[in-house]
Amino acid sequence: MQASKGLVFDIKRFAMHDGAGIRTTLFLKGCPLRCRWCQNPEGLDPKQELIYFKRHCIHCGACAKEDRGIVFQGGCPHVLDRKSNHDRALEACPAQALQYDARYYTVEEVLKEVKKDEVFFQQEGGLTISGGEPFMQVDFLEELLKRCQQEGIHTTIESSFYTSKDNMKRVLPYLDAIYCDLKILDPKLHQEATGVDNRIILENIQLLLESQKAVTIRTPLIPGWSGTDENIAKIAQFLSGISSDVKYELLNYNPLASSKYHLYERNYGIDPNAKAYTKEEMDHFRTIAKENGIKNLVIE
Amino acid sequence: MLNDREISIRIQTLKDKMLSSPRYASIEQARIITRVYQENEELSVPLKRALSLKAALEEIEIGFEPEELIVGNRTKGVRYGVVFPESGCSWIDREFETLPTRPQDRFQVHPEDIQEFRETIYPYWKGRSMEDIIRAKDGKHIDAIAKVVKINQKDHAQGHICPDTKLWLELGPQGLKEKAEQMLQKEGLSNDQKEFYQSVILVMEGAKTFMNRYGEMIMASDRDPKLTQVAENCFALAKRPAQSFHEAVQSVWFLFTILHMESNASSFSPGRMDQYLYPYYKKDIESGALTQEEALEIIEALWLKFNQIVYLRNAHSAKYFAGFPIGFNIAIGGVDPEGNDTFNDLSFLFLQAQYDLGLPQPNLSVRLNKHSSSALMQAAIDVVAKGSGMPQFFNDEAIIEPMHHDLGIDLKDARDYAIVGCVELTTHGNNLGWSDAAMFNLNKALELTLNHGVCLLTGEKIGLDLGGLDTYASYEELEDAFQKQIDYFIDEMMKAEVVVEQAHQDCLPTAFLSSVIDDCLVAGKDVTKGGAKYNLSGIQMIQVANLADSLAAVKQLVYEEKKVDPNDLLRALRNDFEGDLVLQTMLLRKVPKYGNDVEWVDEIGAKWAGYFREKMKEYTNYRGGPFHTGMYTVSAHVPMGENVGASCDGRKAGTPLADGGMSPVYGRDLKGPTAVLKSVSRMKDSYTTNGGLLNMKFLPSFFETAEGKKKFETFLRAFVDLEIPHIQFNVVNRDELLDAKIHPEKHASLTIRVAGYTAYFVELAGELQDEIIERTSYAGI
Repeated sequence: MQASKGLVFDIKRFAMHDGAGIRTTLFLKGCPLRCRWCQNPEGLDPKQELIYFKRHCIHCGACAKEDRGIVFQGGCPHVLDRKSNHDRALEACPAQALQYDARYYTVEEVLKEVKKDEVFFQQEGGLTISGGEPFMQVDFLEELLKRCQQEGIHTTIESSFYTSKDNMKRVLPYLDAIYCDLKILDPKLHQEATGVDNRIILENIQLLLESQKAVTIRTPLIPGWSGTDENIAKIAQFLSGISSDVKYELLNYNPLASSKYHLYERNYGIDPNAKAYTKEEMDHFRTIAKENGIKNLVIE
Repeated sequence: MLNDREISIRIQTLKDKMLSSPRYASIEQARIITRVYQENEELSVPLKRALSLKAALEEIEIGFEPEELIVGNRTKGVRYGVVFPESGCSWIDREFETLPTRPQDRFQVHPEDIQEFRETIYPYWKGRSMEDIIRAKDGKHIDAIAKVVKINQKDHAQGHICPDTKLWLELGPQGLKEKAEQMLQKEGLSNDQKEFYQSVILVMEGAKTFMNRYGEMIMASDRDPKLTQVAENCFALAKRPAQSFHEAVQSVWFLFTILHMESNASSFSPGRMDQYLYPYYKKDIESGALTQEEALEIIEALWLKFNQIVYLRNAHSAKYFAGFPIGFNIAIGGVDPEGNDTFNDLSFLFLQAQYDLGLPQPNLSVRLNKHSSSALMQAAIDVVAKGSGMPQFFNDEAIIEPMHHDLGIDLKDARDYAIVGCVELTTHGNNLGWSDAAMFNLNKALELTLNHGVCLLTGEKIGLDLGGLDTYASYEELEDAFQKQIDYFIDEMMKAEVVVEQAHQDCLPTAFLSSVIDDCLVAGKDVTKGGAKYNLSGIQMIQVANLADSLAAVKQLVYEEKKVDPNDLLRALRNDFEGDLVLQTMLLRKVPKYGNDVEWVDEIGAKWAGYFREKMKEYTNYRGGPFHTGMYTVSAHVPMGENVGASCDGRKAGTPLADGGMSPVYGRDLKGPTAVLKSVSRMKDSYTTNGGLLNMKFLPSFFETAEGKKKFETFLRAFVDLEIPHIQFNVVNRDELLDAKIHPEKHASLTIRVAGYTAYFVELAGELQDEIIERTSYAGI
């Protein structure tokens, strides 16, 4: 990876649920976690990959004629190695049915994109950096955040904070608001669900809550995993034990993410039939959080 | 915040009655007009017109509902389509039988009416109606250019006017009559001036009689005590100006009823009603004569009335303006004459009435500016969230300055702007804006430029042969030819405009309207003759989104990257892309599109809109005022698209153009609503002094939380900062629309923003329903 460039898999404008006001969210590719329910499977692998959108394809076969890495079979292209260079196929495809899932941006290129919506930020909005895991590209992250501060753009991060304390210290001064995920408190279960130990995360949360920053801790409710009474109770106790007025938010499960998995030929790691929680179920979890010490529950 | 409240039983009853009553086509007034003309052959047209309006006011059958607080209509039945012979009725002759079964805007008919119309009414008007006169004079020419330029106002009187309601309230028919009588005493009046004042006196006498007739009819009935008050209001208004709030509202409604009886035209706008009704409201509230609750009920009674006059259009026109919009446009909020933001209790009550009723009329507009109050915006957003497609929002920051600077309108008048029809802009009470003079199909002009002046659909040569894709050596050469093609059709359009305006002067002088348009009464000059302080003519540019997309595709693929051979492209266009899927897909997918905040593409659209706007400066209209431009289509993007062959943006022949006017082609805006606004903002304010239209569709989930509504306010404030003239939102579930298509009976009152106006969804033709369902929608990401 080049130090001055970031591998970006999406820049979403008009992001309404990634912090205050109207925001632009930057998605950085690459993540050390492997959550079974990952909402952005395109953000996992820190490499550019070729993806195929069947709904755009007109089945002309132009890609295979230009690119030996693609075999045209049954009217559709089959990519032999997604991570190799396929510039020729992309150029040949009239339909943009073949696309890289990410591309490298310089800090200034990202800033240019972000500034396109400056007028919509008004008093509150700004840039949210999400992923993947933003800390995987910490040099780029730090440089981008510094530039935003210079330009007066409000910044927010969405991260698991599965990163070193040094990395955290580099970045924290340039952040205006922080959203940190805490998925599961039980270390064993966390390991099983995400592939990593949560000890670093818990320590970092402690540091975050002791900093003077605007921090919100979020738990995505995943049926059968994080969405249990016990988990929410434990998280609530842990957080309120550090800070009595910690801001805490419960995020409802979003079943739509599973539809992205076929693009990557990955398997969705939880029950594909799981549904979003009802309003009553959400209220139930919120009650548990409150009963276990959370006073400042964020409800959007 | 607006309240979820129960509307009164009275209002609910009236609403139910209105929605369940059948619509008929009526020839009653046509019969009266024809008779008066026949009896007074020797008189001038202005006097015949005045006498026939007076006769209608004296004779037309009237009615009222026992629950009504505001009375008056131009027919006894509600939502009747009125046949109006003077302006043109050949289409009625052709289409009378089809009215109950045609695809759009159906009306029931009485068979005996058809017979009477054919035997006694139509024969008299044949050759004499304005439509026939225009046709005889310039019909062939108008037809020859029709695919590029649709000349409007050929068969009906001028609407799209905002009368001086304040003057009407202050003087009433008696005061206006006296004023005309005084003027008539002046020395040195020309014959035209004398006849003008005589006409005003006649129609004001008719107006007084009309009001008294309602009072008398009510008093002769078994009535609710509340109705006695209504009758007394009618008697009082016949004698003197309005005093109470209730009288003022009744007076406003009589004004608009009579305007429609005189002209049967689309859209007379009440304009800034929260401003001019406020003194009456304030006085009654302060004296204790009126409570806020009572005021709201009176307002809601008026709101129902606004839904009771509909406009009978021919089948073709109904396709362009589906859902019989008549455009009682009310502008809430905005700056005062000094430029300060202003609103009052009535602004909120008007929004509450819309929140309660959710009907297609009035066409409610909120004027925003940099200092708009959050309270008013939040109330407006509450109404938006209800999903009736209202209110629409206008931007003082984008409208006032160019009105003043580009059109030479006094700053004070520009700050007092109102909206007529759908989104057309006007000054208040002193303007004949002629805002729908013509629609200019830029995409058809481009088609002819690419194909040697030959129509791709018919093979007929209808434009200039300046070459074609097969001959232009560079993009600049193509642009040069396009410019010449546009110039040619603008010139032809202007010739037709003269004929049409002249015919209006000859056939349709309007004394009643002129009495409430400054400065007609002072000058003794009818509004059609240029008596208004401001005399504009508006041409709509159709459709910048497709034009930008098409030219961008040609520029990039043919002339820059040279990936597409121009001969291949021309062949593909001629064959409507049959066998050219790869090429069509490249046009659609390989080139960025308008609406995605891609500057070079948007600037192509802006360049040609700017060229067209500048070109208007070379012409003056028949009343001596300037031409200017607008960017809105109403629902005309469907029929206008039918006239255009395959286009370089990958669009198939005959399919709709982009909707709205400033909106991107549906489905092509892939970067979300902020990118759309950024693209649209590249159209300069001066291109839309006649009105711009931007449609957006949001899903209801966006408005479910206070946080969401707050973000929506932020979005609107950015809209203001971007100086976009107009924006409107449909907030509706796709599922609900699909269900309404299948079970219209369950969704009778579902209203939806079609373009610049709101209509009942179930009353729209299937194609248009599908298209609305297809339009892009946004939820939060």
